[in-house]
Amino acid sequence: MTTTSDRLHRAGDGVSDPILEVKNASVTYDDGDTYVLDDVTFSIERNEILGVVGESGSGKSMLASALLDAIPAPGHLSGEVLYHPDPDTTVDVLEFSDAELNEFRWAEVSMVFQGAMSSFNPTMKVGAHFEDTLKAHDRSVPEGLEFAREILSDLYLDPDRVLDSYPHELSGGMQQRALIALSLLLEPEVLVMDEPTAALDLLMQRSILLLLEDIKEKYDVTMVFITHDLPLVASLADRMAVMYAFELVEAGPRDQLINDSSHPYTRALLNSTPNIDAPLEDMRPIPGKSPAPVNVPAGCSYADRCPLATETCRESDPAFEPVEAGHTVACHHWERAAEAIELTFGEAAAVGGDAEGDPQ
Amino acid sequence: MGHYYLRRTARAFVTVFLVTSLSFGLIRLLPGGPFTLLRANLLRQGVPASEVDARIASLQNIQPDAPLWRQYLDYMGAAAQGDFGTSISLDEPVAQIIAEAVPWTVFIVLVSTVLIFVFGILLGAIQAYWEGSRFDQLVSGASITLMSVPFYVVAVLALFVFAYQFGWFPTAGTVGPTVEPGLTMEFVTSALNHAALPIFSYTITGIGGQALAMRGNSIQVLGNDYVEVARLRGLSDRRIATRYVARNAILPLYTGFLLLLGFRLGGTVILEQIFSYPGLGYYMWSALESNDYPLMMGTFLVITVALVIGVYIADLTYGLIDPRISRGETDAY
Amino acid sequence: MPTEAEDSEPVSWQSDSGVSADVTRGERLSELFEERVRKPAIVAWADRRTRVGLSILAVYVGMAIVAVFDLYRAPSTNQAPQLVGPFESWSHPLGTTMSGVDLLSLIIHSTPDILLMIIAGSVWATGVAVVVGTLAGYKGGATDRVLMSISDVVMAIPGLPLVIILAVTFNPQNPIVLGILININYWAGLGRSLRSQVLTIREDSYVEASRTMGVGTPRIILKDIVPNLMPYVTVNFVFAARYVVFASIGLFFLGVLPYSVQNWGVTLNYAYNGGALFTWEAAHWLLFPMIAIMGLSLALILLGQGMDRVFNPRVRTRLAESSESTRETDDATEGY
Repeated sequence: MTTTSDRLHRAGDGVSDPILEVKNASVTYDDGDTYVLDDVTFSIERNEILGVVGESGSGKSMLASALLDAIPAPGHLSGEVLYHPDPDTTVDVLEFSDAELNEFRWAEVSMVFQGAMSSFNPTMKVGAHFEDTLKAHDRSVPEGLEFAREILSDLYLDPDRVLDSYPHELSGGMQQRALIALSLLLEPEVLVMDEPTAALDLLMQRSILLLLEDIKEKYDVTMVFITHDLPLVASLADRMAVMYAFELVEAGPRDQLINDSSHPYTRALLNSTPNIDAPLEDMRPIPGKSPAPVNVPAGCSYADRCPLATETCRESDPAFEPVEAGHTVACHHWERAAEAIELTFGEAAAVGGDAEGDPQ
Repeated sequence: MGHYYLRRTARAFVTVFLVTSLSFGLIRLLPGGPFTLLRANLLRQGVPASEVDARIASLQNIQPDAPLWRQYLDYMGAAAQGDFGTSISLDEPVAQIIAEAVPWTVFIVLVSTVLIFVFGILLGAIQAYWEGSRFDQLVSGASITLMSVPFYVVAVLALFVFAYQFGWFPTAGTVGPTVEPGLTMEFVTSALNHAALPIFSYTITGIGGQALAMRGNSIQVLGNDYVEVARLRGLSDRRIATRYVARNAILPLYTGFLLLLGFRLGGTVILEQIFSYPGLGYYMWSALESNDYPLMMGTFLVITVALVIGVYIADLTYGLIDPRISRGETDAY
Repeated sequence: MPTEAEDSEPVSWQSDSGVSADVTRGERLSELFEERVRKPAIVAWADRRTRVGLSILAVYVGMAIVAVFDLYRAPSTNQAPQLVGPFESWSHPLGTTMSGVDLLSLIIHSTPDILLMIIAGSVWATGVAVVVGTLAGYKGGATDRVLMSISDVVMAIPGLPLVIILAVTFNPQNPIVLGILININYWAGLGRSLRSQVLTIREDSYVEASRTMGVGTPRIILKDIVPNLMPYVTVNFVFAARYVVFASIGLFFLGVLPYSVQNWGVTLNYAYNGGALFTWEAAHWLLFPMIAIMGLSLALILLGQGMDRVFNPRVRTRLAESSESTRETDDATEGY
């Protein structure tokens, strides 16, 4: 435990009561030649909503799977994933036996995948998915279903209708909410959501986000919300982390990360975000391509696209440095980032919460 | 939904009606016409020329000198009552010949098709589970090879080796000549013994295709998110394999099963001829040989009706086993 | 841009669905060539099965050329001693039949007609299926209902018996007519599945765009829809061809089709009826035509399998799965 807190203080991420800690997690394919998650370390505070932002292919789905030790078959996960069911207990998820892992997944840490339609077996009624899950974990089916009805009602669904329907008979938004209910069925401590709203229209995204806040309060879960949509998660998260090319590049409390972003990539990401108020010419796509997992360059992986890049950046990988309390960034030149890359939505963003209104 | 069933039933009847009409039309096109041979036969038997037409009418339900529409109505009316006239070559009512032949053909086709699906599904599922293994490669290779062998080639070879050369199986017939029909041990063994080679050659050549199809479907299903989610939800491998993978992989094979049934019913014409196995196909072929048009058309119609009924049943039941199709998918647009 | 609403990760990477609305027609055509002709050809050739299949097929085409240009003696009775065993003499490498016909010449001289028959049959089956499938799928409404009802009826007639009756009725001699006759109702099932594909394609944005711009139906079908069906059609062309091989030779063997046409099935029939069943000495008479049949159908199946792998996204996806993460990245960068 001492080493853990040491590291935490060194990382300065401001997490005092972590429920999950990920340390030096890497996911490799092809016998270690291909990295799709590269030495990621971060913690999740009990009862917070952590937003993880990254473009598609930045490894954020791998991060989600790593939390449940559920990396798809040929991939190999190394490092540590520590779970603290209470502040004084620590278990390493990667050390679990198969049986322990089965009990841990869904009951302790549960997950909502992107694309609810594909998460349900098309030839089984939604209710049967709930029953299967309860039976697999030796829970009482009638009681479990009673609880399921409660969650479904809280998500503004008609429990009887949903449980008695086949997945294809429900709309996308209904499926997504049914999937969220399924993930809460065993009252997990942590709920990991990987692009839970990507397939939905803006209105539905918005209403699901609002529901999530209520759900979080009522069912007392810690949430990890993974998305490519920065404004979306900014409206919800307590803390945020930004991923680029299979690495974490910046993490911190929401307002600091938005208003005071210190990594050039985070700033570029904010500038590339469509904003209905901003004129089109103010939108700045990020030039260049993000590296493929086979040829992640030495040094900072963002160097090729970064206006601040110097020789140092190409040669050495930047370590995390504290910007302010709880706000850390992996960049050699973070102190220059703010003046070099001006946020185009400047004034609007100064009022932190405003970013949430952007998608509309 | 009721609407769909109603329409589906109507279509089955329309199909049978159209095929029957087609057979009527085809008879008229046959070389020498439908009655030439019969007329010659009757004359040779010493039937007075004046009575020949009447005899033909009584045998074939068609009056040769009646106008075409009249002939057509008579033909259709008789066919509707299951009366296909009298066989010229065997001098027996066609309906009776067919009634004796049908069970054997159905027996062979059904048993071999079920065997194909059982083995194909099992092999394909195991292959998909161990995708890329030696077993997978071996079975895939064998499947492709088997797919390229026509069943009649296996039939001729099996007949050559196991019946003629080794004498393990009979070379003709459905049961031994002295065996009385009935639910006796002797009858059942004899029937199985006679059916063994036809079923074998009809089965072995079909397994490969089904195994490959099942393998492909299973691999596709295994790659679906819902299988991964089920695993995360802690479901047992067994439950996932049966309810999540197998069911979704087998479903698309169901409609293929029907098309196959049709092809295989038709194929009996060749199969039963090779083994001299007196089923529907055998009689169709021998009717062909002897220009026995009533028998030929009777067998053709019965084979068609059997197929129509098969497809009909499957169409109606598909909605029951696949919830996504429950509202009659064919009419979605 | 990573924040675009559509830019969710499951964007399928195959070209089938990747064509977006804002691409001009010219770009789309050249892309179409790239995506549908060049790349598939490369991928197909990379598959061992395609290569083996094509090689075997080349042997048959070679045999056909030999026969057409009369480079090998034509079969005739008593051109050789009776029932010479295989590999016993150089002048009759595959042996001879009961009536002293050179078996190799029988097999070679059967090939041109068989190939002709196969091509005719599969062109007919796929051609009718494409017309019926696209018309029914694109026009919908009454056209669709009528065409599909006809297909359903045709599909319900068992193929082989129908062919037999038609063969007896019309007694065709021409291999092209024979090929068409054998696949007389093969198009129905294929047409039905093509129709359901058309139903999906016509909802695609670029088809909708063409429609809104007032492009005529024939043009839309030809330019926008048929090219998208080609993969499926190609694969089924091969399977239709295999069916012609199986059925035609079976019917020749049965003696339903005219003996005057040179065919492996006829040879098989003579062997079967000529007593080859009773003695090992005549086994080669049975075996070599069988091998010729199986070789050709093996070639077609391998070809079909190889092409299926190219065109079938699910097989292709699976193939590329080990490098999924690479792909994910490529995908992401397309937005820029």
